[in-house]
Amino acid sequence: MIANADALLKPLTIKGLTIRNRVMSTSHAPGYGQDGKPQERYQLYHAEKAKGGIGLTMFGGSSSVALDSPAAPWNQISVADDSVVPFFQQFADRVHAHGAKLMIQLTHMGRRTKYDTENWFPTLSASAMREPASRTIPKEMEQEDIDRVVRDFAAAARRCKEGGLDGCEVSAAHGHLIDQFWSPGVNRRTDKYGGSLENRMRFGIEVLEAMRAEVGDDYVIGIRMSGDEMIADGLSHEDCLTIASEYARRGLVDFLNILGGQARDHIAHAISLPNMSFPVAPFLFLPSAVKREVDVAVFHAQRVTDLATAARAVSEGHVDMVAMTRAHIADPHLVKKLSEGRADDIRQCVGAGYCIDRIYVGGDALCIQNAATGREATMPHVIAKADVRRKVVVVGAGPAGLEAARVAAERGHSVVLFEKEKLAGGQIGIAAKAGWREALSGVTRWLVGQVTKLGVDLRFGTAATEEAILAERPDVVIVATGGLPSRGPAKGAAEHAVTTWDVLTGAVEPTGSVLLYDEMGQHNAASTAELLAKRGCLVELATHDRMVGEELGATNQPVHLRELYKLGVIMTPNMELIEIYPEGNRLVAALRNTMTDAEEERVVDRVIVEHGTLPVDALFFGLKGGSVNQGVLDQAAIVRGEPQPYDLAKGYALYRVGDAVAGRNIHAAIYDALRLCKDL
Amino acid sequence: MTYALPALVFVMVALATVQTLRRAAWWRLGAAAPVAWGAGLLALPKRYLVDVHHVVARDAYASRMHAVVAGGLLAATLLAALAALPPLGGSRIYWAAVALAFGVTAAGAVLVGARRYPKRPKRLSGGGFQILPVLLLAYAFGGLAAALLLAFGVASAPALVAAVALAAGGGLGLAYEVRSGPMRHAVAGALHLIAHPRPRRFDGGAPDAALVALDLDAPRLGVETPADLAWNRLLSFDACIQCGRCESACPAFAAGQPLNPKRLIQDLVAAATADERAYAGSPYPNARDVAAPTEPLFRVIGEGARIHPDTLWSCTTCRACVEECPMMIEHVDAIVSLRRHQTLELGAVPAKAAATLDNLRAAEELGGRPLAARVDFAAGAPLPVIGEREVDVLLWLGEGAYDLRYGRTLRALVKLLNMAKVDFAVLGAEERDTGDLARRLGDEATYQTLARANVATLARHRFKRIVTSDPHALHALRNEYRAFGATYEVVHHTAFLLELVEQGRLAPGALGGASVTYHDPCYLGRYNGETEAPRKLLDRLGLDRVEMARHGRRSMCCGGGGGAPVSDIPGDARIPDLRMAQAAETGAGIVAVACPTCTAMLEGVTGRTAEVKDIAELLLASVEAGR
Repeated sequence: MIANADALLKPLTIKGLTIRNRVMSTSHAPGYGQDGKPQERYQLYHAEKAKGGIGLTMFGGSSSVALDSPAAPWNQISVADDSVVPFFQQFADRVHAHGAKLMIQLTHMGRRTKYDTENWFPTLSASAMREPASRTIPKEMEQEDIDRVVRDFAAAARRCKEGGLDGCEVSAAHGHLIDQFWSPGVNRRTDKYGGSLENRMRFGIEVLEAMRAEVGDDYVIGIRMSGDEMIADGLSHEDCLTIASEYARRGLVDFLNILGGQARDHIAHAISLPNMSFPVAPFLFLPSAVKREVDVAVFHAQRVTDLATAARAVSEGHVDMVAMTRAHIADPHLVKKLSEGRADDIRQCVGAGYCIDRIYVGGDALCIQNAATGREATMPHVIAKADVRRKVVVVGAGPAGLEAARVAAERGHSVVLFEKEKLAGGQIGIAAKAGWREALSGVTRWLVGQVTKLGVDLRFGTAATEEAILAERPDVVIVATGGLPSRGPAKGAAEHAVTTWDVLTGAVEPTGSVLLYDEMGQHNAASTAELLAKRGCLVELATHDRMVGEELGATNQPVHLRELYKLGVIMTPNMELIEIYPEGNRLVAALRNTMTDAEEERVVDRVIVEHGTLPVDALFFGLKGGSVNQGVLDQAAIVRGEPQPYDLAKGYALYRVGDAVAGRNIHAAIYDALRLCKDL
Repeated sequence: MTYALPALVFVMVALATVQTLRRAAWWRLGAAAPVAWGAGLLALPKRYLVDVHHVVARDAYASRMHAVVAGGLLAATLLAALAALPPLGGSRIYWAAVALAFGVTAAGAVLVGARRYPKRPKRLSGGGFQILPVLLLAYAFGGLAAALLLAFGVASAPALVAAVALAAGGGLGLAYEVRSGPMRHAVAGALHLIAHPRPRRFDGGAPDAALVALDLDAPRLGVETPADLAWNRLLSFDACIQCGRCESACPAFAAGQPLNPKRLIQDLVAAATADERAYAGSPYPNARDVAAPTEPLFRVIGEGARIHPDTLWSCTTCRACVEECPMMIEHVDAIVSLRRHQTLELGAVPAKAAATLDNLRAAEELGGRPLAARVDFAAGAPLPVIGEREVDVLLWLGEGAYDLRYGRTLRALVKLLNMAKVDFAVLGAEERDTGDLARRLGDEATYQTLARANVATLARHRFKRIVTSDPHALHALRNEYRAFGATYEVVHHTAFLLELVEQGRLAPGALGGASVTYHDPCYLGRYNGETEAPRKLLDRLGLDRVEMARHGRRSMCCGGGGGAPVSDIPGDARIPDLRMAQAAETGAGIVAVACPTCTAMLEGVTGRTAEVKDIAELLLASVEAGR
């Protein structure tokens, strides 16, 4: 039972538009656009949320309205010409078929983009101030530029209406053009667009008035904006309240989509997209304050990952619509499950930031725990029953094994799951021990809940043997035994180094000075360094890469760096660990600078290494000879989405998934399992 | 000595008559009430032999015992009286027949004794009731011995004197007990069956369970003292034999709340009778302290009165006591009339109930929510709102529509109606609460206001019949709104869905797997006698249906009726927990429900319990499985 959950299931009417409930997904850029258009993959991704009961789904974060705001970065949508309209129509039909409403975000990025990605026009802004995040220096807009961009917004709004979208919002958050004009730190103009807040608001007013004039008063238009930029030279909370109330008072906007912070540099960006190190709904007070001032609907997104928080936000009147954007990436059927009384089946977002971190390096948004999201054309969110009931034995209850057991059980198979440890979760359980990474355990929690509910025969604390597996007379054996940490190639590492696993599991408890050497650039070393520093160790984190945590994304790396700096961890990039040897009761670690080949030594109490994992595969090779497929996965069949072509009448098929094949990540482990087992 | 026995009978009859008349003075304290004496008298044999025995027969031992002892007693006494006629009194064969009748009585008396000695079942009252078998045995064996002696021609032996004396001891005792002892039930019971305040309950149709409308202009509203009750209600209380069947059936009693219907009836008797014998049955569980006044005809309810308010507010109005009472006593009528006085005259309702009543008065809805929000449960699905056009079915949504959980049931129902292409509509923002809860809480004024408003709304629209999934709404609309001249054909959704299935408009597939047990809602089963349609429907779904020990009209309440959830009187356990434990005994994986209140109460039970699903949800799953 979720308190006040009924508040979430009340319809909301904005002008003539009735949204069936109070749960929405805000516009974002999953990197699914193709040729500047929302095509099948993009549409199916949102249609799945519609199918899952969402009230309103907004797509196309930062969809561009003009040629000098390129859509190419992050495979975005361009609304700068009419060719997008048929795609909107098809998109709207797909979403409306399931009863949800569909809106888009329109923007001109101003200086928050790069000049060298699409049309090679210079970026624009109110003034020629460099943006730290995109590292571009814009051209100061002339009156003609202003007039043109205003017309571009109006034309884009018309395209939305013609495309059958239920409304649109303009982005004036995260440092886009409209809020570049608002912000005193960016807008240094002395004409009627600069100076007083009234003048700085003018550009946005002209944009919204032109859009209104184009699409009429009954078309729903909103604005996404910050409730407090939280920087000294930015917009204060009072400024934001003034802007919000003024725009609402003028009848320019039908809803205000409020967030906290801004995104002009790395840490600000990470804070505006709070990951699992933040409490839930950290900025709910901002939309709440805006709602007191205005008569239009107020929306809000920012780490509302659970329905209890969402229900509180709506029932207490802080917001009218609560956006659970990442929560829908984890589980697009969230509302349906709530309304069907299956809230326990909701796969809750853990806040890993895997989805969003991928898009900031040009990838596509994928969920760390739900491998079907963004792959709706090929991967099912609801697993269909198989025609033939099989006996499936899964070994290992880490993410790969749990997902394999879950999907196989959903298929209707009889599943036995062996796990040598008493608790499920595998490496997730180790990673979750590191400080703010604790919420990662939510991935395991949901999977264990599902396999338990599905009646999988769970044999925890039982190491599988070949005999025990074959005694089950399996049709399919899936080895998901995971990996064990490697100590790497440095001389003396095997004898003298310990691993991040040893620290996180508590097998060793280092004191004194520690050299932590990282070859992975992932969370593992950074979070271990934080843990050790908090325990009082003097920590140096050395890495082969150009910086610490190089593989970490935009919402996670700044948080690690912030913690590492605060804790006084010494960060040493461009180093290779070449040797460890004892000296007295201490250790000497030899490091070589990767750029200069200059060698340095450290005398420390502990050397800890992070080299990823190597597969635990003895069981796999023991079973391989007896299997009908010699343990081979038919990759072509997997890619085609077809069952594996082996005749199970002749014996068992053997597969391995996750790190038992090669050390990768949670998503890879879960995707391995899902795509194999959905066709078992 | 031949005429000693007939003489004894005449004396007994005279004594019983005197005692009855003395008691009648007490009945006459009550308010006047119209009674169809002639019809009642004519109907007495049927009411006794059919209606009463239908209930009595549920306890096979008691039924056999009563048939033997009461039949024997009546026959022996009548035959003994007829021996006053010389030809009969002189016939030894006749005396043999009399002896046989006394013999039967003696056998019955042994059965009565065997039930109470050596250990009396908890539900039976002790005290004065424990003397009953003694008196019966004395009368029966005395009479048997006397009649046998006369049959053998012994007309004047000391043995005969002793036998007649024994019979006199027992017989006069029994006759004396007609005023305030166990035998009161026989005389008062017979009179009660004749002058029953709800004669329609004997007609064999649907149960007569609609509360009687209160005249809001009356100088005193509801019942404050026993004298405010109609005289035949006071009479009905005297019919009580304190068998305790009501307490065994009462859900509040079972949950350790301070209510025992038997005790309540006896308290109402005692509240008016200065010299009533001390009550010797089960107490109110966790009885609240009251300072019982000694003077009669004092106010009944209060901490300084005989009955604590918590007792009054513990009742769920489930009518289980009424259903089980072999003497046809109407406990719920008494409770509601007492509540009416508390609510309307004193404003003394439990705190949470007061808030609910405030909402009903101000917002015409229990939770004070907007009436327009009643259709929010549809969550975007189209829901036709009634307009000018006549529709086949007006779907009455009820209070459940506001509940998150029950929204699932209503969505399933709406989906089924659409699948079956039923021409239906809802009232939308025009639907108000039916007033059921206000009425059960004694707030007749709010009930009547809401009822009149709903009747006026319904009069503005054209529909063939009303379908509702809420048995409380069904009962109000079908039975209680008649008092406002409104007659509708009201169908419960289970009956309507069965109709659709039987017409082939819905094709259920087999659900398979789990077994299901059906929990009868009180307001559908006991209040409206509908127990078959839900079962027939369930039997179409391919589920293995099992029954709980208490089912049908004898089902146990979920604890949600009569305002009990808002009165919230603490006990030792929660009624729904008890009910779900009963469901668990069947091993069923699904508890099928057919009422929003039952859904909320039973699903609110924590721990590992069966799934609680409305029949509409199960039918929808089955129809979808069949596609």
